[in-house]
Amino acid sequence: MSTESTNQNNLSEKKDFLVRSSSLKDVRNFSREVFEKFKINEDLREELVLAIAEAAQNIVKHAYRDFPDTQDRMAVRISCSDKELEIAFFDKGKPVEKSKVKHRAIDDVKPGGLGTFFIQEIMDSIKFKEGDKPWINNLVLTKKL
Amino acid sequence: MTYKVTDEGDTSTVFLDGEIDMDKTEGAKEVIFPLIDAGKNVNLNLSNVQYMDSSGISVLIESHQKALEKGTKLIIKDVSKSVLKVIMMAKLEQILNLE
Repeated sequence: MSTESTNQNNLSEKKDFLVRSSSLKDVRNFSREVFEKFKINEDLREELVLAIAEAAQNIVKHAYRDFPDTQDRMAVRISCSDKELEIAFFDKGKPVEKSKVKHRAIDDVKPGGLGTFFIQEIMDSIKFKEGDKPWINNLVLTKKL
Repeated sequence: MTYKVTDEGDTSTVFLDGEIDMDKTEGAKEVIFPLIDAGKNVNLNLSNVQYMDSSGISVLIESHQKALEKGTKLIIKDVSKSVLKVIMMAKLEQILNLE
């Protein structure tokens, strides 16, 4: 885990992970450690962990769908100011087609299609950006505190 | 994820343990689906599952639907507070059989 900034009002932690489903537990543990360190409200912590894990899962499932044995790594950066939490994801997978990112209709009960819905329910904003080199995708989630 | 299965008559109870995510769903299906395919009613005890993501929720939906197709029943028991929150976020508390 790298700490980018630790002044009182602006905290930021970043860590990278192998792009694999087996990394999702490590992503959650990293997130829990950071939220504890940032003293985020306990009721909110597990919701945020779920949103982060769903976004990381989408990288594994979609950006690297055709490359299950990749050795690429994805990075997660959690930044916190007095009023807002920002969670950024960086990966080098297939570029995200924003128009295709949608959840299933919630009353059409069937397996799949809920990850993006959970992220939308938990976070205030979701922005897909082109990543600065060497990254291809940069997803930024924010939540007012 | 670890699991234990107990049998009583035509009902099997599956006790899952740990965190259920994309990495663990195949293991969960391999335990639950054969029981439903064999015509068993299945009680799924989630008291020791503290975390479940959308992949885990998909296993619950798929198991529920499979049980309906086979004419058996899947009952989800002793759901932890954290997992219930996710089930409710997915608006499934009226769809799945929760006890």
